[in-house]
Amino acid sequence: MTASSSTDRPELEPAPQGLSGESLPHTAISRALDGLIQRIGAASAWLWPILMLVIITNVVSRYAFSEGFIELEELQWHIYSAGFLIALSYALLLDSHVRVDLVRERISYRKQAVIELLGILLLLGPFIGMLLYFAVPYVIDSWTMNEVSSAPGGLSSRWIVKSALPLGLTLVLVAAFSRLTRLLAFLLSPEVKHGN
Amino acid sequence: MEINEILAACMFGSFILLIFSGFPIAWVLGGIAVVFTGIALLSDLYLDTFIAMDWSYFSLTIERIWGTMSSWVLVAIPMFVFMGQMLDRSGMAEKLMLNVSRLFGRLNGGTAIAVVIIGLLLAASTGIVGASVALLTLLAVPVMLKREYQPELAVGTVCAVGTLGILMPPSIMLVMMADQLAMSVGDLFMGAVFPSALLGVVFVLYIVIRGKLQPHVAPAGDDAEPVTFGIVLDAIKSILPPAFLILAVLGSIFAGIATPTEASGVGAFGATLLALTNKRLNLDVMRDVCRETSKTTAFIFALLIGATAFSLVLRGLGGDEMIESALHNLPFGPAGIVICILLLTFLLGFVLDWIEITLIILPLVAPVIHALGFDLVWFTVLFAVCLQTSFLTPPVGFALFYCKGVAPKSIGVKTLYKGVMPFILLQVTVLAIIFIWPDIVTWLPTQAYGGQ
Amino acid sequence: SLVAATISTPSFAEEKIRWKMQAAYGSNLPALGDVIPGVLEDLKEATDGRVFIKHYEPNKLVPTLNITDAVRTGKLDAGYTWIGYDQGKIPSSVLFSAVPFGMEPWEYMAWWYDGEGQKLAEDVYEKNNVHPVLCGLTGPETGGWFNKEINSLEDIKGLKIRYAGIGGRILQELGASVTVLPGGEIFQALEKGAIDASEFSLPTVDKQLGFNRVAKYNYFPGWHQPFAAFHLIVNKEKWDEISDADKKLIDLTCQAAVARNLSRSEAFQGQAIKYLEENGAETRKLPEPVLRELEKVTQTVLQSEADKDADFSKVWESQKAFQDQYQVWQDLGYLPRDF
Ligand code: NA
Ligand code: NA
Repeated sequence: MTASSSTDRPELEPAPQGLSGESLPHTAISRALDGLIQRIGAASAWLWPILMLVIITNVVSRYAFSEGFIELEELQWHIYSAGFLIALSYALLLDSHVRVDLVRERISYRKQAVIELLGILLLLGPFIGMLLYFAVPYVIDSWTMNEVSSAPGGLSSRWIVKSALPLGLTLVLVAAFSRLTRLLAFLLSPEVKHGN
Repeated sequence: MEINEILAACMFGSFILLIFSGFPIAWVLGGIAVVFTGIALLSDLYLDTFIAMDWSYFSLTIERIWGTMSSWVLVAIPMFVFMGQMLDRSGMAEKLMLNVSRLFGRLNGGTAIAVVIIGLLLAASTGIVGASVALLTLLAVPVMLKREYQPELAVGTVCAVGTLGILMPPSIMLVMMADQLAMSVGDLFMGAVFPSALLGVVFVLYIVIRGKLQPHVAPAGDDAEPVTFGIVLDAIKSILPPAFLILAVLGSIFAGIATPTEASGVGAFGATLLALTNKRLNLDVMRDVCRETSKTTAFIFALLIGATAFSLVLRGLGGDEMIESALHNLPFGPAGIVICILLLTFLLGFVLDWIEITLIILPLVAPVIHALGFDLVWFTVLFAVCLQTSFLTPPVGFALFYCKGVAPKSIGVKTLYKGVMPFILLQVTVLAIIFIWPDIVTWLPTQAYGGQ
Repeated sequence: SLVAATISTPSFAEEKIRWKMQAAYGSNLPALGDVIPGVLEDLKEATDGRVFIKHYEPNKLVPTLNITDAVRTGKLDAGYTWIGYDQGKIPSSVLFSAVPFGMEPWEYMAWWYDGEGQKLAEDVYEKNNVHPVLCGLTGPETGGWFNKEINSLEDIKGLKIRYAGIGGRILQELGASVTVLPGGEIFQALEKGAIDASEFSLPTVDKQLGFNRVAKYNYFPGWHQPFAAFHLIVNKEKWDEISDADKKLIDLTCQAAVARNLSRSEAFQGQAIKYLEENGAETRKLPEPVLRELEKVTQTVLQSEADKDADFSKVWESQKAFQDQYQVWQDLGYLPRDF
């Protein structure tokens, strides 16, 4: 079973298992797209300490100054949802999504690549594609209806936070497309050793 | 069986089959949801069924994702992950290991006992199983092997203790469960305190008894120093930081100073301060922590998104009613039904991990339990103990995987499987104890409500 | 031949209706959630299963707050909800569901059926592709559960309180620190002092949820919600598809539900309050000067809403006009309240 590794420290890193991004050849497309996903993912990771500070500010102001801010409460889940949605593609790039490696460890890289290719085309692609197809009108709807928070003193312009959903989904599709080109390059190239 | 029920069964079956393809589980769940929506549509068209599920029904997934996005409770998850990552790098665990194990050096099984105590402290201050298991393996297994512990006992202990963090609050698993069942996170946290402490106690008892009966499996080190005042003082000093964190997070929740979400932020902040005082915090560490938090949070929420689509479509096919009536029609009394559910969960735990089971199975069975008149906090904690065990059960056990990843080369898969076996039995024993005496779970949450 | 034609052509009304409907409240909650399952059962029985609206418990398909959205966009056929949840998108929705210092429940019923209420609601909601049917009505909620005494306006200042909707806005104007905690967290937050007060529902519902265990004072009256109306909302296209006979049938069943719901919600509140008192709750009434001040702020807040939204203004004017003429009757026709 592969999961997000707990840490970057090499001595804690589990032995590499199965086909990962590292063992796939890059393509011109994938280099550009992966670079983009990497940069966006790395930048968005800084949302977490910001979220932490927003929570601390809210707690302190409530208990020290008896002053609560709905804006800050709402800002918390705004940051959190943008954070996890943008991270979806980053995790795809870095092979952090949970999978069951039981069979995977026992078959050739070539077979693994075929499975991953089919998975992207038949499972991930349709799923994320459908979600994106419905998410875009969802945001437009919020924008045209000028949706605001229904909480007293809550944040306005709900469409901004809602936009994180199609943005995150688009990035997942981009990352998946980039992986697709790498898988194809791998499968179509004759001279690569298909190790186990 | 009606056609829709056959489809529901096929949907679940294809999920179990397809996860073995090794493709990420989140996308398997979501992809199957899309495929079965299409199949239901075709079935209505050509088989004259009336499932009445179409793409606009599938698109309810978007509303459900929005529900997740706007959940204030779930904000706690990335914050607890951040806290765990930061703590992992703060040097706290190393200090604990060094000082606490010196305290028990002269005892048979002393190092293993120290591991349990450290594991409990780590579990109550954070909850990243992977990190705990990896750290304990890295720090304690070589020491135990050097002292000529039986390797099975050494790895079994670190794996079992390392998984306590997912049950002992603060726990992202309990946060997720509370969100799924619209329960209070605080109630679940309080409910899980005694069961997880009980597990720790049972582990220690087991090690002590085995150390007495079979001194060769866990010998005291010849190199062990006598316990001096200095050693005690060092141990106390190293326990202070985690104690401080536990007080900040659990203390503030139980005392009502903060909601669990706020406490998660406070905990993350506390861990950062701890890393700072230990001079471990710099820009690189911070960047690492942030990125790791993103990766872990992303895989949890990808599963949540996939599972929400999967559950929606399964519900549309009538899968809910099917399972509910199947459970109600079991030829046992209410207690028998609970045992059946737990057994099923235990078995599913061999191949699935806590997130999928929490997201798909728990919402299916909880209404049945509620209808039978059981306390939902009690049941959820039982369920949580079951899922904690799934970390240890091969072939798909997170703890085994992490332990194997960093253990000395001499530790084989067989050693690992044999090593966790007694601990799985201990877990099941504790499960039975909680089942027989529900007060172990319910006493603390009731206590909180003014003794009523 | 006319008779023969009627018999031979399958009438429009024989078409099956199969809708998915999600409710905002669990069917276990007395008066709040047990209305709609009865309505759907009645519809099914009256038509021998031809009109079958499948009932889903809260959150089974969509989060409660998104029911209208899902119905509006055709993802759900129907929903049963307190449409005040829509105020982020449809500001006037609050006026149809609960108004601080607003009408008595039967007065609202009169405005809806015999005044302009139904017409206005249909206009506002049909613009949003939703057809609303009034399908549940209760009297006031409790004024909230407090762990601090309210003797003057000063006591509201700095109060940490969970209060949804316009009521929350009004308290905020008066200096309270308002939050919108999720339902599951109210309990603990109140017990542990993370918040000082929270409103929830009718005494019978509050009793079932055990608020008396976590708060000292149960304040009355329910100034923020003298009536609470609940609607069966149907996607406009779905509504237009069905026959006039079926529309009528749904209307009638819901009218019956309104009457039954009001009677059910009025029936046992006294008992519930007594039970709550016997189990640790101290019943309090907000002092009149505080209520007067709250009413003043309510008018300012409602006015500012009316200035922002044309529909809100139109509906509010209609309600005010109706209330004015009703006031005459209420003052003259009814016995003074202290008789
Ligand atoms: Na924990
Ligand atoms: Na397992």
